[in-house]
Amino acid sequence: MPAERAGYTVTMFLVDLSPSMGTTRNVELPPDANGDQHTAEITNLEYGLQFVKLKIQEMIYNGRKTDQCGVIVFGSEETDNIVNEKNGGYEHVSEYIPIGQPNASTLAKLDALEPSSVAGDPIDALVVAVETQNTYLASKKTWTRKVVLVTDGESPMETEDWEAIVQKMDTLDVWLTVVGVDFDDDELPFYEENKSSIKKANEEFLTQFASSLRTGIIGTCALALRETTKPDIKQTKSTLMGTVLRLGDTDTRPEEAFEINVKNSKCTAIARAKSWKKFAMRPMDEEDGMDEEDRQAIYAELKMRSEYHLDPNIGEDEDGVKMEVDEEDKTKALEVVEKEQLIRGFKYGSTYAPCPDGQFPKLPTRKGIDICGFFKAKNFRRELSMGEIQYIWADPGQPQQQVALSSIVQAMIQKGYMAIARWVTKDGMDPKMGVLSPVMFDKVECFLWAQMPFADDIRKYTFASLDRLINKRGELITEHPYIPTKEQQAAMDKFVDAMDLMEAGDKDEDGNRQPWFDTRLSYNPAVHRVKQAMFHCAVVTDIATNPLPPPHPELLKYFDPPKRVLKYAKDAIEECQATFKVRQVPKRVAKQRKDGHVHARYDDDEMLLLDKKPTTKTQGATQSPTQTRSAQSSPKGKAKETKPPDSETEDDESDGEMLLDRAAPFKAEHPAAKKPPSNHPLPTPARSMSPDPGRAPGRIIGAAFPLKDFRQNLESGDLVTKAVEDLGEVIKEIVVKPFAMRRKAELLECMEALRETCLKEDEIDAWNSFLKGLKTVCASSPGNSAFWSAVQTHNETLSLITKAEAKEHGGLSLILASEAEEFFS
Amino acid sequence: MPPYDDWNRIDDEEDDELQDDYLEAKRDVILFCIDCSESMFAQRDDPRYEPGEVKTCHLQTALEAAVEIQKKKVIVGPNDSVGILLFNTTRKTEVKRSDTTEIKRHTYIYQPLEQISAPKIQEVMQLLDATRENPDELREAFPPLTGKKVPMGDVFTSCNWVLRDGYAPKTASKRIFLITDDDDPHSGAGSEQLLRSAKTTLDDLVQTGVTVEPFFISTDERSFDVAKFYSQVLPNGTTNGDENEESSTLPESISITRIDDLLAQMRFHEVPKRALFSIPFELAPGFTIGVKGYGLVTEQKKGSYKYFVDLGDRMELVNSTTRYVDEGTETEMDKSKIVYGMSIGATIADDDDDISGIGTRAVQAGKRPFYTAEEIRSFRTLGLEPKIRLLGFKDRETLLFEDNIKHSNFIYPDELIYAGSKRTFSALIKSMVSKNKIGLVLTLTRRNATPTFCALLPQEEKEDDAGWTDPPGFHLVPLPFADDIRAAPIEEACRASDELKDLAKAWVEKLAVKNGAYPPDSYPNPALAYHNAQLQASAFREEFDAESFEDLTEPKVDVMHRRAGKLIVAWKEALLEDDSASMVPATTGSKRKADVNVAEAEIRSKWESGTLSKLRVDQLKEFLKSKSLAVSGKKDDLIQRVSEWMESH
Repeated sequence: MPAERAGYTVTMFLVDLSPSMGTTRNVELPPDANGDQHTAEITNLEYGLQFVKLKIQEMIYNGRKTDQCGVIVFGSEETDNIVNEKNGGYEHVSEYIPIGQPNASTLAKLDALEPSSVAGDPIDALVVAVETQNTYLASKKTWTRKVVLVTDGESPMETEDWEAIVQKMDTLDVWLTVVGVDFDDDELPFYEENKSSIKKANEEFLTQFASSLRTGIIGTCALALRETTKPDIKQTKSTLMGTVLRLGDTDTRPEEAFEINVKNSKCTAIARAKSWKKFAMRPMDEEDGMDEEDRQAIYAELKMRSEYHLDPNIGEDEDGVKMEVDEEDKTKALEVVEKEQLIRGFKYGSTYAPCPDGQFPKLPTRKGIDICGFFKAKNFRRELSMGEIQYIWADPGQPQQQVALSSIVQAMIQKGYMAIARWVTKDGMDPKMGVLSPVMFDKVECFLWAQMPFADDIRKYTFASLDRLINKRGELITEHPYIPTKEQQAAMDKFVDAMDLMEAGDKDEDGNRQPWFDTRLSYNPAVHRVKQAMFHCAVVTDIATNPLPPPHPELLKYFDPPKRVLKYAKDAIEECQATFKVRQVPKRVAKQRKDGHVHARYDDDEMLLLDKKPTTKTQGATQSPTQTRSAQSSPKGKAKETKPPDSETEDDESDGEMLLDRAAPFKAEHPAAKKPPSNHPLPTPARSMSPDPGRAPGRIIGAAFPLKDFRQNLESGDLVTKAVEDLGEVIKEIVVKPFAMRRKAELLECMEALRETCLKEDEIDAWNSFLKGLKTVCASSPGNSAFWSAVQTHNETLSLITKAEAKEHGGLSLILASEAEEFFS
Repeated sequence: MPPYDDWNRIDDEEDDELQDDYLEAKRDVILFCIDCSESMFAQRDDPRYEPGEVKTCHLQTALEAAVEIQKKKVIVGPNDSVGILLFNTTRKTEVKRSDTTEIKRHTYIYQPLEQISAPKIQEVMQLLDATRENPDELREAFPPLTGKKVPMGDVFTSCNWVLRDGYAPKTASKRIFLITDDDDPHSGAGSEQLLRSAKTTLDDLVQTGVTVEPFFISTDERSFDVAKFYSQVLPNGTTNGDENEESSTLPESISITRIDDLLAQMRFHEVPKRALFSIPFELAPGFTIGVKGYGLVTEQKKGSYKYFVDLGDRMELVNSTTRYVDEGTETEMDKSKIVYGMSIGATIADDDDDISGIGTRAVQAGKRPFYTAEEIRSFRTLGLEPKIRLLGFKDRETLLFEDNIKHSNFIYPDELIYAGSKRTFSALIKSMVSKNKIGLVLTLTRRNATPTFCALLPQEEKEDDAGWTDPPGFHLVPLPFADDIRAAPIEEACRASDELKDLAKAWVEKLAVKNGAYPPDSYPNPALAYHNAQLQASAFREEFDAESFEDLTEPKVDVMHRRAGKLIVAWKEALLEDDSASMVPATTGSKRKADVNVAEAEIRSKWESGTLSKLRVDQLKEFLKSKSLAVSGKKDDLIQRVSEWMESH
């Protein structure tokens, strides 16, 4: 059997249109936006056509001119095929789409197919297909011939002479694939219940037929469909490129130098997803008199065009301060320049360095790989490897060169060396530096080349030491929140051991567990997902009603740690969580600031000054020479409210380790986070005398200035649910603290603001449940019944939100007016 | 045909290698702030020459370093700005314009803060050249202030004003390179107050987003003691008023250096440290820290050329914009209306009744067979949010040499997003190093990137001889996907005998460096340097001297021949006697072929006698093929090519 080569193939699709194909079935659709499952009713024909369309789509996707297909339908009302024309017979078989390179209209035509009223014979169709294909390929003997038969096997078949057909197909080397709708399949597995006897017989026959062929397979449609979405690696055969491996000066001292003829080929090469084409809908002709039904939306492919223009704002602007021009003005000021007027050059600061060719003369170089020296492989710095890996082979046609390379590879392996080499791919090309690593396979030696960085490619950024912390007196500090304690280190050691993957994979033949994860089995999820999406959008007519099915599970298999490992590591993880106490710091802190002085926070001028430039500030902080400083708490930096509260919410716990953790408020990652993190209910301890919002971990509302915090959060707008919830919790906490009545007015004001927000922001349920909770809290011990009485006096503004009131604001509530009244009485 | 540079442009939706553009998009502003007091003028031997031969002074070296940095910066970031401010000099700044603030006394703007340009660089170079001729030149240009020192507070205030008035875009990173050899500028009376004012003004500066990177010059006679003055002034953890707090640490970027290393030290700070991404690192569900990612290894490419237009009096840069046009109707489409799909495919020539034209797709009104930008992004990310997720640990040995596709990134903890990140990160490095493990992680570094599996390679901090410290952190080494891995195309070849291998071993050993590894610092990119040298010559309107260009990446053949020449001769002799020399490779294919293999010696003799034309084309081709040369063209071309090879071998 000749090896399959890409393209140079004609595939004939044979589609059964017999009445039985009109039987409907339910298929599951992917979950919609709300996560609900839906099913759709489709005919067996539509079901089977999905496979055909996916296959054709793949051809369109690959875009090979030599990958062609034709469609023949059987069970059609009319008869239109070359065998019938010549010899008669073979009725109800029609050549539906002639052989050619498929395109979108091929798919559109398939969509137009409908079950007919006459039964068709698959074997007739097969004969017609083979004949049609043979005629088409009369002068293209080397092309691969494929036939795909889609049928439900419910129609009678003429099975006489089938051996002759098999023989004919084998002579022509035709590959047959039978896709049976609801055929029994051991692999899936699937077994149809109540199978009709005719289908049973047909299935048996087709199975026998397919297996008699040299290249025939049969399978059920469901499996075939699943297989089409399975990631499939496009095998690319790397070409062998010739070059020489050189050592020494071959020009003047050739006797002491050598050249080996070698070939290089790619060992790794980044596979990228095919790029998307851009389309836009043409504006619809409104005056078109057509019915809504017939109206068409036409999407046209867009082409990219470049335009060159002069920005007059640049250049006049010599004062240095760049004027802020808003977008509209900018476009107006543009002066379009014709491409012919342009001169190439480089920028050298504000100076222009002309270079009409687009590049300066290049460094003269000579093709080949020059060995510069050897070094111990154990000193190789893996992280410096910069790109794709190449194989370097001795010329396969020259045994002496093979022996020469083999001797060097073996010598290097024995000594544990790698080579430093300089590679010029073509005379005059820019050289690359890299290392050659010797490799010994079963029967051949070669080198692997990895490109390494030039001095220019390395950025030597300085980073603060994690271990060596020096205080300002120049002494080394050994205890600091940045330095893990013995206990923490032990927890981490345990975690690393628990999360080991070396024996977390599947078992091999001997029952030994293999490592989990193998690059050779890790499909690029983006590439395959994009490909699936591209297929899908070409097959369906509307994305909104027929969204892309979920990715094949094979793509996501390495997305999470193996369940076994996580389960095993549960204790270690919990221990780490408990000992390291990592807290998320709220993101939006640039807006708030606070000085070491109590009054400073009300200093409007300074507030403004800082609010103006949040970006610069952030940048300044991250780039400031002391990360230490910003992280810890400085008077003006960002980590402002990482200070502890000194309000009555404080707790007695005081632990040096908490230095960093002090009330670093944890901001929920998702605005919609529903649960307040209850695992840290206590505010953290106080150290400083400065006021603090007193936010508990995970809260965005503090006990010190709840209303202010609340309003600020509302302004920023994205955390309303969380703000509402937190304010409620905070109020409930404050109410039961000693001296809470001093803050009565403040609390009532908070509640009014809360209620108002709930009403507006559709958080009505949150208010109602908060109020009920508050009542309970006040009534229980220690409680605060006085406060509840105060609330009751504000019947107007603080009552439960009733159905009627909610409706007024476009919301929903289940509370009746009578209930609300009773609640407050 | 599309314009030549179209393929250079990366589509924003589809790019996952934006990193370099991103780096260049941010401008960098550096203000050199150099001390000009008496000690900076002290004449001393230039270490680059024989002792006593050439003299130099600290100020000269500092200015030389400033020139070098400018020269490098101008190529990497042509839009970056640089200025030079001198202090402790009596020279006064001439006020050119009314809108510029007069700066403090005894500070002098040598070069205002503006975009780097060839004339600016040349100005300093000329001054330095003159100084080499006449060492007093510098002193005359910038007479030092004698008897007293300008308050450092004034220096910082001047810096602030220069930065404010100069060309420093809001989004740029602004840095002051402070160069001084005086560790105690205010020792006399009133030092407390001067110190406080210096601190306050510096704080103000830092507030506006400016970073100060001090370069303190230490000499044999006098070592620079930071504790005397600067540790109390420079911003660090003590600014919250708690002066005695133990945990306060010094800024990370102080360089106390000998003047000779000044340039080397500056190189470390030449590129402002910018994070490529700042994302959460999930060690396990519910156990997340914050990290920032940096590109420590990134291919530095030649800048791409720009288009200019001649306006008569000057050349002006031209910008380009891209529009998307429906060629059927010649209408430009708004970016927001663009939807994405795949190519429609070739049209079947015959019965194509598609009336709407090529490249269009018609569907019923209201239906949309295309994706929105947001949808296609979710296909790329598979719905993940930017994050690094730890999957587990593996042995260090499982990270293979060949499992590489692109450069690695470096991650360092970010305490500002998750408090406690540093200690967790630090503990993780230690654990992994002691157990010799690597991590396996799933990463999505940015919103429009694609999920990638990476090996997490721990690096402990280590100081090398040159004073450079390997920073603590993890290297994220992207692993190839199954899709990226290609099979070995050759499975069998002749093997060398042990004798031959031992002969090879002999010379391999001679050419090995004992304790070295691949030394990136020894190999500046020659092609890039060659390009940049020509660019600079062009900008300076000088002639480029290609002869004087030295390519440091070329193998040191003289040393190699001296060390291993004889051994290579021995190996080559053995190779010639090897059985393989007479072996004829098994020809594949059943077709009978004429004998096309002609011995090299025979061809050489034909070449020498000028009778190459006696050979057949297939014989010539076979020979060329064996030398990996092109086999295209007519017979004359082939003979020409063979002759060329013979000449060079």
